[in-house]
Amino acid sequence: MADTILLAKGVTKRFDGLTAVHNVTYEVKAGETAGIIGPNGAGKSTFFNLLTGFFIPDEGQIFYLGEEITRTPSYERVNRGIVRTFQLVSVFDTMTVLENMMLSRIRQGRDYRSKRRFFFKSVYHPDLVDECLQALDTLGIADKADIKTSDLSYGEKRELEIVIALSLNPKVLLLDEPFAGLSPIEIGHISRVVQQLSGKFAILIVEHKISKLVELVERLCVLNEGTLVCSGTPGKVICDPQVRECYWGKEETA
Amino acid sequence: MRMIKRLERSPTLILAVITAGFIIFGYSTSILKITDFIIFCIYVLGYDLLYGHMGRLSFGHMLYLGAGAYGTALCAKYLSSNVFLAILCGILFGAAIGGILGPILIRTKGACFALLNLAFNQVGHFLVLVPLAKITGGEDGISLHFTGYRFLDFSNIHQLFFLSLISLILVAFLIIKFTHSPYGILLKGIKENETRVNFLGYNTYRYKLITFVLSTTIAAFAGALTTLNYNYANPSFIDPHRSVEVIFATLMGGAGSVLGAVIGGAAFMTISNYLPRYILRWEMFLGLALLIIAFKFRKGIWGYIREI
Repeated sequence: MADTILLAKGVTKRFDGLTAVHNVTYEVKAGETAGIIGPNGAGKSTFFNLLTGFFIPDEGQIFYLGEEITRTPSYERVNRGIVRTFQLVSVFDTMTVLENMMLSRIRQGRDYRSKRRFFFKSVYHPDLVDECLQALDTLGIADKADIKTSDLSYGEKRELEIVIALSLNPKVLLLDEPFAGLSPIEIGHISRVVQQLSGKFAILIVEHKISKLVELVERLCVLNEGTLVCSGTPGKVICDPQVRECYWGKEETA
Repeated sequence: MRMIKRLERSPTLILAVITAGFIIFGYSTSILKITDFIIFCIYVLGYDLLYGHMGRLSFGHMLYLGAGAYGTALCAKYLSSNVFLAILCGILFGAAIGGILGPILIRTKGACFALLNLAFNQVGHFLVLVPLAKITGGEDGISLHFTGYRFLDFSNIHQLFFLSLISLILVAFLIIKFTHSPYGILLKGIKENETRVNFLGYNTYRYKLITFVLSTTIAAFAGALTTLNYNYANPSFIDPHRSVEVIFATLMGGAGSVLGAVIGGAAFMTISNYLPRYILRWEMFLGLALLIIAFKFRKGIWGYIREI
């Protein structure tokens, strides 16, 4: 329990009679990179949404650093260090890349905690701009700072989303299908970023592309029909007959 | 094109253009009428903060204008003859109504938000007309006579014109400051994807409430000035049927910009004041204009000029 950073204890979520997540107990340890896999409709994203406060579980509890956060609003969880990305890239298309970055940095910046500064001072403060450009540069997109986000490729948007997530000072970073919709080159790029981040804070990845996840995570879990089927090292999990049956078995025979 | 970009980037230039525009417009036509235009533009600016910047369309914003108008009139009639105290009362009354209804309204969005505002507007209109008729004067409203304050004389149309113009410049300045600040970017974010803003660590409920109350306060300020301008407050100032006027003006000028709001406000008032001289059923023209805007100029007059 000592190094457990995030713990879901017997959480259940139902939607109009359909149980999307059923009595799942799962923990994320500080500094580890863990993954959750499962076929479509297995309840992976719902489980993610429960951890991040998008949904409130019908049953069970969620703890963060030993403190119960089951009903804590999502913004409060973010401020405590539970940061997420979305399955469908979620950045602000009407803003420039820099403005997207600013919106996340302002929240963390000490200077903008003053109301006068937040409501009345120009957002284009040189220090803030520099800070944002530096952050964008970590993923090599600083040269696109003045471009409207809608003009970026899907992969670049994904990179921006990750830079934004990192700027929120995460203690646990939850990546919801980070490789969805990306080209092999882009997948390679994002994988390298995740590998570089490993160990700095806890990372939990929900993914459909199992081959990519196996290379990245230390621990893998399988969710099927809302229930946790198997958990262990990636090597152990992919050899588990139950996992083969519920996941690859179905895919291969189809 | 370069001039337009320069204008947009310089708040001082924007305020100078608005001031010069209204002074020229006022002294070349009718000061009394243009004072009315200016007050309406303040109302449009307040509405645009809610709709243009935060993306919440309200069908009942006349309630807040009416609250300011009646707050001012009631204060002047029953409490004090001090004009500025009466205006302050009107503004505070509008802010209070926003503060009371806001926590209910801002939990909703889309059609629900628009219609709930309309429902509250109708309740307010009914209260003024029937149950509170003894205080509000019912259909007749409240007639007043504002004498002035020290060296200021509000029966002088020129002084009233400049008071309204200074008020418009102040509100426009405040909104420019807001929209260029981190708060402005936050509003942009809420308009596009509120959930995402939540997941950046912002309590969006708080900022939506602040914006809603600011919008109602500005509308109430416009209401207070309307009472001062007309020397009366009557139920037409809180009539829900007139809520469409501010929506029309915002769309016409171009939502989400100070210049768009002012252009829209001035254009709407020009149409509604001057067109009836030539076309008896001018409202039909208004409907046609709205159709043209909806299909051809979705970003309004200012939006169109910017993109030329």
